[in-house]
Amino acid sequence: MLTVKDLRVSVDEQPILNGLNLEVGEGEVHAIMGPNGSGKSSFAHVLAGREGYTVTGGEVRFDDQDLLDLSVEERARKGLFLALQYPVELPGVSNLVFLRESLNAIRAARGEPALDAATFMKVVRDKAGQVNMSPELLKRSVNAGFSGGEKKRNEILQLALLEPRLAILDETDSGLDIDALRVVADGVNVLRSPQRAFILVTHYQRLLDYVEPDYVHVLSGGRIVRSGDKSLALELERRGYGWIAGEAAA
Amino acid sequence: MSAEKQGVKELIRREYQQGFVTDIQTDTLPPGLDEGVVRAISAKKQEPDWMLDWRLAAFRHWSEQTEPEWASVHHAPIDYQSISYYAAPSARPGPASLDEVDPKLLETYAKLGIPLEEQKALAGVAVDAVFDSVSVATTFKKKLAEAGVIFCAISEAVREHPELVKQYLGSVVSYRDNFFASLNAAVFSDGTFVYVPKGVRCPMELSTYFRINSANTGQFERTLIIAEEGSHVSYLEGCTAPMRDENQLHAAVVELVALDDARIKYSTVQNWYPGDEQGRGGIYNFVTKRGDCRGARSHISWTQVETGSAITWKYPSCILRGDGAVGEFYSVAVTKGRQQADTGTKMIHIGRNTRSTIVSKGISAGHGSNAYRGLVRITPKAENARNHTQCDSLLIGDRSAAHTFPYIEVRNPSAKMEHEATTSKIGDDQLFYCRSRGLSEEDAVSMIVNGFCKEVFKELPMEFAAEAQKLLSVSLEGAVG
Amino acid sequence: MNAMLEPVERYRRLIDAVAPSLPGDDAGWLTSQRARATEHFVRQGFPTRKDEAWRYTSLERVLEQVWAPNAEPGLQPATADIAAFHLAKDAVARLVFINGRCLPGLSSLSGLPAGVQLGSLHSALEQQPERLAPWLGQAAQAGVSSFTALNTALIDDGAWVHIAVGTKLAGPVELLYLTTGPGTVAAHPRNLVVLEDGAEATVVEHYASLDDTACFTNSLTEVLLGAGAQLEHARLQDESAAARHISNVFVQQGHSSHYRAVGVSVGGLWSRSEYHNRMQQTQASCEIDGLYIAGDAQLTDVHLDIGHAVPACTSRERFKGILLGRGRAVFDGRIRVEVDAQKTDAQLANDNLMLSRDAEVDTKPQLEIFADDVKCSHGTTVGQLEPEQLFYLRSRGIGADDARRMLCLGFATEVLQACSVDGFRARVETRLQQRLAAGAVMGNSGE
Repeated sequence: MLTVKDLRVSVDEQPILNGLNLEVGEGEVHAIMGPNGSGKSSFAHVLAGREGYTVTGGEVRFDDQDLLDLSVEERARKGLFLALQYPVELPGVSNLVFLRESLNAIRAARGEPALDAATFMKVVRDKAGQVNMSPELLKRSVNAGFSGGEKKRNEILQLALLEPRLAILDETDSGLDIDALRVVADGVNVLRSPQRAFILVTHYQRLLDYVEPDYVHVLSGGRIVRSGDKSLALELERRGYGWIAGEAAA
Repeated sequence: MSAEKQGVKELIRREYQQGFVTDIQTDTLPPGLDEGVVRAISAKKQEPDWMLDWRLAAFRHWSEQTEPEWASVHHAPIDYQSISYYAAPSARPGPASLDEVDPKLLETYAKLGIPLEEQKALAGVAVDAVFDSVSVATTFKKKLAEAGVIFCAISEAVREHPELVKQYLGSVVSYRDNFFASLNAAVFSDGTFVYVPKGVRCPMELSTYFRINSANTGQFERTLIIAEEGSHVSYLEGCTAPMRDENQLHAAVVELVALDDARIKYSTVQNWYPGDEQGRGGIYNFVTKRGDCRGARSHISWTQVETGSAITWKYPSCILRGDGAVGEFYSVAVTKGRQQADTGTKMIHIGRNTRSTIVSKGISAGHGSNAYRGLVRITPKAENARNHTQCDSLLIGDRSAAHTFPYIEVRNPSAKMEHEATTSKIGDDQLFYCRSRGLSEEDAVSMIVNGFCKEVFKELPMEFAAEAQKLLSVSLEGAVG
Repeated sequence: MNAMLEPVERYRRLIDAVAPSLPGDDAGWLTSQRARATEHFVRQGFPTRKDEAWRYTSLERVLEQVWAPNAEPGLQPATADIAAFHLAKDAVARLVFINGRCLPGLSSLSGLPAGVQLGSLHSALEQQPERLAPWLGQAAQAGVSSFTALNTALIDDGAWVHIAVGTKLAGPVELLYLTTGPGTVAAHPRNLVVLEDGAEATVVEHYASLDDTACFTNSLTEVLLGAGAQLEHARLQDESAAARHISNVFVQQGHSSHYRAVGVSVGGLWSRSEYHNRMQQTQASCEIDGLYIAGDAQLTDVHLDIGHAVPACTSRERFKGILLGRGRAVFDGRIRVEVDAQKTDAQLANDNLMLSRDAEVDTKPQLEIFADDVKCSHGTTVGQLEPEQLFYLRSRGIGADDARRMLCLGFATEVLQACSVDGFRARVETRLQQRLAAGAVMGNSGE
């Protein structure tokens, strides 16, 4: 479903990714781990189409399409979803309006009719219930004045609502208390399906206690230096990242 | 509380510490201003004709102008004919070598904490000492010359480096710029000249110490600093004057020119005599300071700590002409007694990707009045210009006043401009907290105010930051009430 | 100055010509008020850009032609034509003015509770001028500006609203000011809104045009609030693209009174609105929110003069601007805290979105503070839409243009939500959508 070949990316002429390779199949859950500054978040943002990154080499294919050729919204409409580490606040923009516009844009791309107001409300209430989000937050401006946990919940709500084929969670677990972390993990577990793949970008293996990954990759110096199963995450937890960077350099 | 108030009153009467007079014979022009005076000053300086012509043009322009009235300050009309425009210790014209300087002058500067003997001087700081209308000594000239840096009295530069002076003098602040700049151009008697050649990092801090001594004289100095491509220089000025009952006029002009990748840091610790608690006497400090970031990625930073003067009227500004140029203005202005300050900056964004930062901290105590006045202008070609302005005012005493007058003009949509201003008094809870930990009210205020000003103090050269903090504490002593 | 003399003289003659036809000329207090205003106007003349309050705003557009006051409308609209302009569905009363004159036939005043006087100022001044004597001209000192003086010199018609002690209105009072040709038209509406102690009301002022005729409106509203009175004051300037509009609102607040205003300016070629608030008794509070949209060739100007004269009052002002095309905006907001006005809490904010290459913004928030125990602040921003916000919306599948429109609307909503009149908010949102659709909203670099 997603094929990343020798991806090279720089920011302000500083190389960030130096030949990254990754293959994600349908229904798979991949965890990408790595020390700070290893390029994890950059990788997630490059996939979503964030400005400010210059792709200097390699390719990314998403369902046999050149992903890098698509605009940000086209990627979203093809089923790619990025949950942000720091969800953006949109003062004055109602969360409900935002969710409806977004859902209908994606439905239109799939050839599905727009939901009428009543149906939309029912769907969004159901999904909000699933992720334990207070209906009050639906009426407020998007993320404005939300607590850290509420913002992350809002991201998971969008994930549930938009039903992407590939969801990338960029450090969604950072800064969460145990209850909020469970919400995120439960969200992912509920939404896990043979048609939907996940890339979990995370610094700690904490999230992986709750969401069992199929593959674990370690990113260092802008490349994946080691891949394995969940036991790799446990080893990292025990030994830190130093030994891998050392091995990679050697 | 009443015991405290009593203590406060005593402290307010605390004398200005630099208020002594040096008894020295001077060569003084009689009061009054006409073409003859302009010619006389020029003649005393042995100036070439082009310099005299420029002065005369400025004088004629000035004669047609009227004093500006827009500033938020009040004073009785100034009689420009009652001021003497030139006073110099009678010895010999021009700067002498140190052993030829009148010992009384050396003593004066030593008393002010500015020893002029190089072996006693603050390590790494070269000083130009300006006494009334003339430069009396310049230290470390030889060492600086080895690095190619010219550091001398401007009167000397007019004679020794006419091509540089001719090229740059008046190129940033024209003699038509404003009333006080015109007056200065006509009668300026001395000041400092700095030239830093291409690629040179000036090996030491440069500084000028201005001292007004004679009565009934005005001081009109002119400073010109040129930083060639890729050069760096840090310059600091300090100023004091004796306590006198009459107001004295100080109308200076400072011009800075920074070429490609050059960096000029200009710091001021202004402590002119502020007048007494009734507002008698003190210096009228009407100054035009402007930096021209002519080159790409040039950088001009103004830092000022203004604690003195009866009235301060100055707006150190940056013209951000070169692409990627950076302008900064950091200011602490304290007014107490009857002091009035109307100060701020102008940031004129012309080049692409230009950035400016303004941090202004005003403290008004007693009957002091403090106004921030600033202009941020983003011209149509200034793509991606950025400005951030923070102006905070702190009020101490219910007869103090604080005003904020920012002007923001944006002509380019890619600009990002943010301005914030706050005004408040020292929080009772902050005071209580400090005092409950055993600090006196005075110390608590001093500590809180120093914290309030920290963002600005950290911009001062290290040698002077402590000095400025001390000055601020002294100037605030007794201001609590 | 000389260039300005001619228009002053023109207006002086005009005042002389219409004076005999103005209402209430047998009331000495009113005639002397008009005479003082005339004298002041003639002496002061029109301001120029040398006047600090007019530094960024040229009067050329206003003074370039002669505007005839109270011109007879070329057509009399029917009630059905007027319905399209209604904003408040639940209005308890409506007054309709055409070219400055109240048209009772189009107005509806039935069903007002006892304790409410509401109607045309013209009729009130004809029938019972002494009733208005305690208030008319109290808040608007003629000395303030030329336009205030001119309006006072020409006091003729407008709305007269008086709410008695403790009376609370169930719905908004809606005031609609329309202009129509033929020829150039001037209207100088004068409104007087008095809320006695404890009274509560919502007043909507709506300025619009029936056609594209160039017109000049110089409106003045005086608001006097008694102790504990509460007024919500929503104002919309939605005139034609040829309109010149200046409005002055003067508010005098009593103890614990609350003034909440939303002022929106979307129409007009040249438009300026001024709010002058005086909190004269302790514990008063005011909140003024505003929105201005300026597109091609439009100039919009907002001046605030918020005066804290006594201790313990609170004020909040927040104005937002959206600039399109060659639009120009001027904002000048001043908070003045007088000696002894301790415990003042005042905040002023002005944010501008510049969505076009050719737009211009000049903004000047000011604080003048003469008391020490205060909390005052102001903040100003000028910028474009945040790239992070655009990215976020687009990463959820929303197209770039829609994302920009949503963000602009969100920007405006923050101000509009202060208004309780649904129809008012909806009308402004529609106008904004139309304006954004008309001029493509500029993207960020690379798009």
